[in-house]
Amino acid sequence: MHGGGGDPDGLPRQRRGTTPQMHGRYPDFDVLEQSEHWDEPTRRAVLARLDPPSLRFFDATQARTLTAFCDTVLAQDRQPRVPVLQLVDAKLHEGRLDGFQYDDMPDDRETWRLVARGLDEAAAEHDAASYGDADPESRLAICEAFAEARLSGGVWVELPVAHAFAVVMRAVLAAFYSHPWAWNEIGFGGPAHPRGYMRLGIGQKEPWEGEEAFVIDPVADVRERGLDHPTEHRG
Amino acid sequence: MKVVDNNSRFLLDVDRRGVPGRDRMRTYRDEDEVDLLIVGCGAGGSVLAQRLARHGWRIVVLEAGPFWDPDTDWVSDEEGAHPIYWNANRIVGGEDPVELGKNNCGHGVGGSMVHFAGYTPRFHPSDFETLTRDGVGADWPIAYPELKPHYERVERELPVAGQHWPWGDPHGYPHGPHPIGGAAERAWEGARACGIEMRVGPVAITNGTFGNRPHCIYRGFCLQGCKVNAKASPLVTHVPDALEHGVEIRADSMAIRIETDGMDACTGVSYVRDGHERRQRASAVVVAGYSIESPRLLLNSDLGNGADQVGRYVMVQGAPQVAGRFPETLRMYKGPPPEVSSEQFYETDQTRGFARGFSVQTVSPLPIGWAEHVLADGHWGKALREYMRDYNHWSTLGALSELLPRAENRVSLADQCDSFGMPIARFDYSQCDNDRANIAYAKATLTRILEAAGAQDVLTIDRYAHLVGGCRMSATAEQGVIDSDHRVWGMSNLFVCDGSVMPTQGSANPALTIMVLASRLAERLAAKQVEAQPSAVAL
Repeated sequence: MHGGGGDPDGLPRQRRGTTPQMHGRYPDFDVLEQSEHWDEPTRRAVLARLDPPSLRFFDATQARTLTAFCDTVLAQDRQPRVPVLQLVDAKLHEGRLDGFQYDDMPDDRETWRLVARGLDEAAAEHDAASYGDADPESRLAICEAFAEARLSGGVWVELPVAHAFAVVMRAVLAAFYSHPWAWNEIGFGGPAHPRGYMRLGIGQKEPWEGEEAFVIDPVADVRERGLDHPTEHRG
Repeated sequence: MKVVDNNSRFLLDVDRRGVPGRDRMRTYRDEDEVDLLIVGCGAGGSVLAQRLARHGWRIVVLEAGPFWDPDTDWVSDEEGAHPIYWNANRIVGGEDPVELGKNNCGHGVGGSMVHFAGYTPRFHPSDFETLTRDGVGADWPIAYPELKPHYERVERELPVAGQHWPWGDPHGYPHGPHPIGGAAERAWEGARACGIEMRVGPVAITNGTFGNRPHCIYRGFCLQGCKVNAKASPLVTHVPDALEHGVEIRADSMAIRIETDGMDACTGVSYVRDGHERRQRASAVVVAGYSIESPRLLLNSDLGNGADQVGRYVMVQGAPQVAGRFPETLRMYKGPPPEVSSEQFYETDQTRGFARGFSVQTVSPLPIGWAEHVLADGHWGKALREYMRDYNHWSTLGALSELLPRAENRVSLADQCDSFGMPIARFDYSQCDNDRANIAYAKATLTRILEAAGAQDVLTIDRYAHLVGGCRMSATAEQGVIDSDHRVWGMSNLFVCDGSVMPTQGSANPALTIMVLASRLAERLAAKQVEAQPSAVAL
């Protein structure tokens, strides 16, 4: 399948535990089965991500838009999905910010709210009532324009697009790749404290780590299927 | 027989990671005039306190963040490590703004070394005279030989593990080299194929018996705070001995202003604890808050800035990373990220077309760090997910490029205030042409190494690491903020002792040298080699 299609041919379905969208390269690896070997504060922190609190920072309109954005920018196109916006919402609600602010940007919390408005404005140009109401093709196109700093007008007159994308993506990536379902997908062994890692060499793995069941060089495959510029390759 | 001068490793508990002795820590009242009040309990402040307490000095250390207990406060997790970074707001600007927070700023007892990777290279002798040798940067008012005995001493205290070091002033290390992982093996093969020498280490991570400090368990979360007590930070290397010798570490105490007699002497520090402003009296004050907070405190106190030098010449190192893709699984998350490094490109080589150089080090990001890497290369959505699924096939090398000190790269006070009513810091940063040429050459070198190792593809990001400068040491009052004894020009009893004092940075990670400078200053203060009066007329 070419032209911005879905998973590469042959990517296995998850057989054990959960991954986002139930695919991954380590179909029989569930990092959560190892949680009894983790120290208590780590276990508490990681397991809490499986059941984040409901939204407190974003209102319903913003949440609808931003959930659609997070799912698009992370290609979470079906269940099960990592609850990325809920994890971001908790962080912003609790004021857990990152210790710096670009001089041409507002506070990160304000940036998130402005991005929600800006995405809805962009959706209006695609004849949709909001970003969440836009069809998948339009969502992808808006996302691509955001990533390439091509959004303009409205909110974006005041808000520098590239910095705004950097701010929201920092939180999006931290939320998604701190979730143990994502660790299953990529075969990350996880906390390993207090027992540690022993098998460090090329091609080695601990007995409890997952066997990789599928290999493809993403550089070649992403290029061939045009995944970096998905809307240009639609047809 | 060697005199034991730091018992920290024996004072730690074998069954718990937290520092013993906090319950019986000596305490002082605000109105007690202590011999020394230190602001900041990181690499500089902790070593200074530990040393001088052994000479009977009565010392209080104010630390803005918490007194950490690694067992209960830290996690083996990237996102969960958020509290160990300085997360209060700062404004970043300039043409090349520098990300702060988890990138380079610590919070709490132990400072930024709590989250540093563990690399502890020495500075080279050339770093202290780049202006004379290379016509760039600045000359320090002190030279390498003065620091050498302190390098040797601090390397024993941390302790540093690694192979014999052939670069700079060649030297060995107290602990042998750690085993390395598959990702580092691949990178090293590539370096060999290009004729580039690499060595294992140097890292401040135990590799053998060392008092009650356990051996490293290779869990790979060095940047998230070591829950094992194997990686060195002042919390385990100097704070236990400091407490044993009567130092009070007053955590959760944010210094907001240095108080003076209106002339050339300071009388104490105003700070906020539990929402109340208080003032600790002291006969001498040392500011050790690192390159953003030390200038901020001096500027907010309107001290030391007669020559308009406070906050200037703040430096970061160019820290581009290049990752290579290999057919086998390498699982770079295992083991400490710092494994092998090279200083072959450290000094100036005219044929490269720029002054000074860079070092090459393995870095090995965890999943969130790797995702930032993939995004920076332009991938999101399905492409991002596919690159991420391939995580276990990549090996990552980083460079540390020596970027030059520039007067306009400065910390200043912003218009907005923090929750204590103190103006927050603003940090402006822009590169010069030499900086850009250095980074470009370093990236090309990293790429060459990985391609020689057989990488099928490479991926590159630009970033910065570390902070130094801002209160630089200088030969005259017009050129800097402190003299060679760390005393603020024009003040009799105010000192700065942290990374901010460095006039240049080399391509070395700064933690070891910050400790070494504190060790030297402590020796001079204890021996009364530092004059009691200012060495220059007040500006």
